[in-house]
Amino acid sequence: MRFILVDEILEMQPGRTVLGSKFISPDEDYFRDHFPGFPVVPGVLLTEMMAQTAGKCLDAENPARGKSMLARITTASFRDWVRPGQTALIYGEVRTSRPQFATAVCRIDVGNRTVCSAELFFSFILMDTVAPGYRAEVLERFLAKSLPNPAATGPSP
Amino acid sequence: MSQEDALKWFAELFGLPAAGLSPETTRAQIPTWDSLGVLTLMAALDETFNLVVNDADMRSMQKVGDVLDLLRKHGKLA
Repeated sequence: MRFILVDEILEMQPGRTVLGSKFISPDEDYFRDHFPGFPVVPGVLLTEMMAQTAGKCLDAENPARGKSMLARITTASFRDWVRPGQTALIYGEVRTSRPQFATAVCRIDVGNRTVCSAELFFSFILMDTVAPGYRAEVLERFLAKSLPNPAATGPSP
Repeated sequence: MSQEDALKWFAELFGLPAAGLSPETTRAQIPTWDSLGVLTLMAALDETFNLVVNDADMRSMQKVGDVLDLLRKHGKLA
């Protein structure tokens, strides 16, 4: 099982705000148990979606600081079910960003309704803690798409 | 802020009963003053008092009184 819970970063101001999306596939294995006849996304996965999205916003701000890691769920509220076939829009706003820690307030909207929100606390680990080949695929895709192409924008010969 | 208020703030931050907490209470006596607790304290000083504390200063804090001294030094504690 992969544990990438953000399909795409749609908008980002590194270190400030981020918007990501996640389509909730009816094929997700956890729906077999959570719950038969009443499939809903577990709150812990919604929280992880918010943490991954806000984490990418922090990682993009200052890669040298290391990789953001969820250290504490300060608050979390779940107001509505998230069902198979829906698309979650995941919002993150960084409140504090320091070399050692960061905080963010996040929410997930489905349709026009906010289904959950959380205040999250992050610490950072050195990049050499993770495997040398580690790549943040979703963040890299966004950056490749959003950053100007040096070949196209560089000075004319 | 008075020392009594600061002790209440500290106790709430670390999930402790305010009674029994004193400036002499050591870090070793507070189980939640672990590595995450250090970051929690840094964040709280930052967000509540607008005090940005570096790693070395944080490491030097070994008792509640050290935190109170920091607040006092920056004029946050009467």
